[in-house]
Amino acid sequence: MKNALTVTGLTKTYPDFTLDHVTFNVPNGSIVGLVGENGAGKSTTVNAVLGLIQRDSGHVSILGAEEPDNAVKEQIGVVFDGSNYPEILSPGKINRIMKHIYHSWDEQDFSRLLKQFSLPRDKPIKQFSKGMKMKLAVSAALSHHPRLLILDEATSGLDPIVRDDILDMLLDFVQDEDHSILVSSHITSDLEKIADYIVFIHEGKVVFSKPKDELTEQYGIIKCGAAQFDALDKSDIIVYRRMDYEWQILISDRQKMQKKYPKAMIVPATIDEMMLLYVKGEK
Amino acid sequence: MKGVLLKDLYIAKSNILVTAVSLVVLGFGLSFLLEAGALLILAPVASTTAVFISITSDAGSRWNKNVLTMPVSRSQIIGGKYSFYVILAVLGLIAALIPCGVLALSGADVTFQSLCLYGSIGMSATLLAGGISLPCAYLFDPEKSQIVFMMSFMASTGIIVALVLFLNLLIPVKNHLLLTFQIVLAMAAAFFLLSCKIAVNVYQRRDVC
Repeated sequence: MKNALTVTGLTKTYPDFTLDHVTFNVPNGSIVGLVGENGAGKSTTVNAVLGLIQRDSGHVSILGAEEPDNAVKEQIGVVFDGSNYPEILSPGKINRIMKHIYHSWDEQDFSRLLKQFSLPRDKPIKQFSKGMKMKLAVSAALSHHPRLLILDEATSGLDPIVRDDILDMLLDFVQDEDHSILVSSHITSDLEKIADYIVFIHEGKVVFSKPKDELTEQYGIIKCGAAQFDALDKSDIIVYRRMDYEWQILISDRQKMQKKYPKAMIVPATIDEMMLLYVKGEK
Repeated sequence: MKGVLLKDLYIAKSNILVTAVSLVVLGFGLSFLLEAGALLILAPVASTTAVFISITSDAGSRWNKNVLTMPVSRSQIIGGKYSFYVILAVLGLIAALIPCGVLALSGADVTFQSLCLYGSIGMSATLLAGGISLPCAYLFDPEKSQIVFMMSFMASTGIIVALVLFLNLLIPVKNHLLLTFQIVLAMAAAFFLLSCKIAVNVYQRRDVC
């Protein structure tokens, strides 16, 4: 099995939003970042992948199964934004509950993660900070030895220290080649740090799905004036944006463009900049 | 399902304890005014309120969404909630039987037949109310489902009266009170099971996000 997750033509229609034929893969042993602005369709995609919402059409194969049964769910760890556990519970009680839900629940591993994140075992979750809640959710998701980890906006609203702790844990998890991660976030800097592939969703459609290295090493932005913009071969332009004092043009091959337009100022593009150009730019 | 039930128990623990103690105290207090066994009508109904506390908590904490990603099927989630409802109703009956038993031992007029009669009425009302309100808890938002929850007890009383009047056409109810309410209990149990099946079917197709 090459892919931990395969999503093909996933479509879900709401009165005011359509997730339109979303297609991407999560190869085994990789981290795939699902990026896009708020409301782009990231959470809808994750919800449809997990079977929380009924899809109108399309296929999802998760760890080789079209319809994940309990045996497949046993191998999936999920973290949503927030802890998603009743706030009256404490980590100790969650441990006792999960022991009866997951056959593969590892009490020792859970205790180790609680200790690693300095989380109190007997304190109710309602007394936890947002960062502590997220650390607890990640600990619970990892304590049944999943093969696929799915995180939906799990780092949003967290300070950089907590985010870094969680990102380190994700990198550690994927050291095992059989482990894979799908992480949706609008904090592109996090994904730039850890992701192997980037899937960019905009208005319910996949704009691109590419290896991160290809994006950061090959894509670039030409910064120029109106005259230089007019002189450009329009087939080289992916998207462009007219700013107050300059034009920004997203291109897919920095080196090739530098040779073609030696006088042009071409800078590497961050995923954030690419996202901005796609969302706010013109074709 | 065991893990899901344990979670419900943790959430409702304080409420269950308060209800159980209240029922025992109420049983002794009520015995001065009424037949102590009459508490069996109230006990199962009162004790099931904890289920709605757990449903509200599930919705508020988004546990409903989280649990669906775990190796627990949608039918197990619904089945767990219905089971929890029955368990609490039975625990309520047991709590109410404590003062009845003590009073019977101290010479009060508590007969087995009256306990069966009041127990049947109480369980019938509880199962009918649960059969109405539990599926609604998964269909409507928490505010609406709380209204349905309160209305369901009134509705269950009305249904019981209607059933008794209907049975009176077939058998003389006044002469066969216990049998009548045992039939009502059987019908309420069947309705509760049917409601569970419907709730499972509805929940299978429901988007949870």
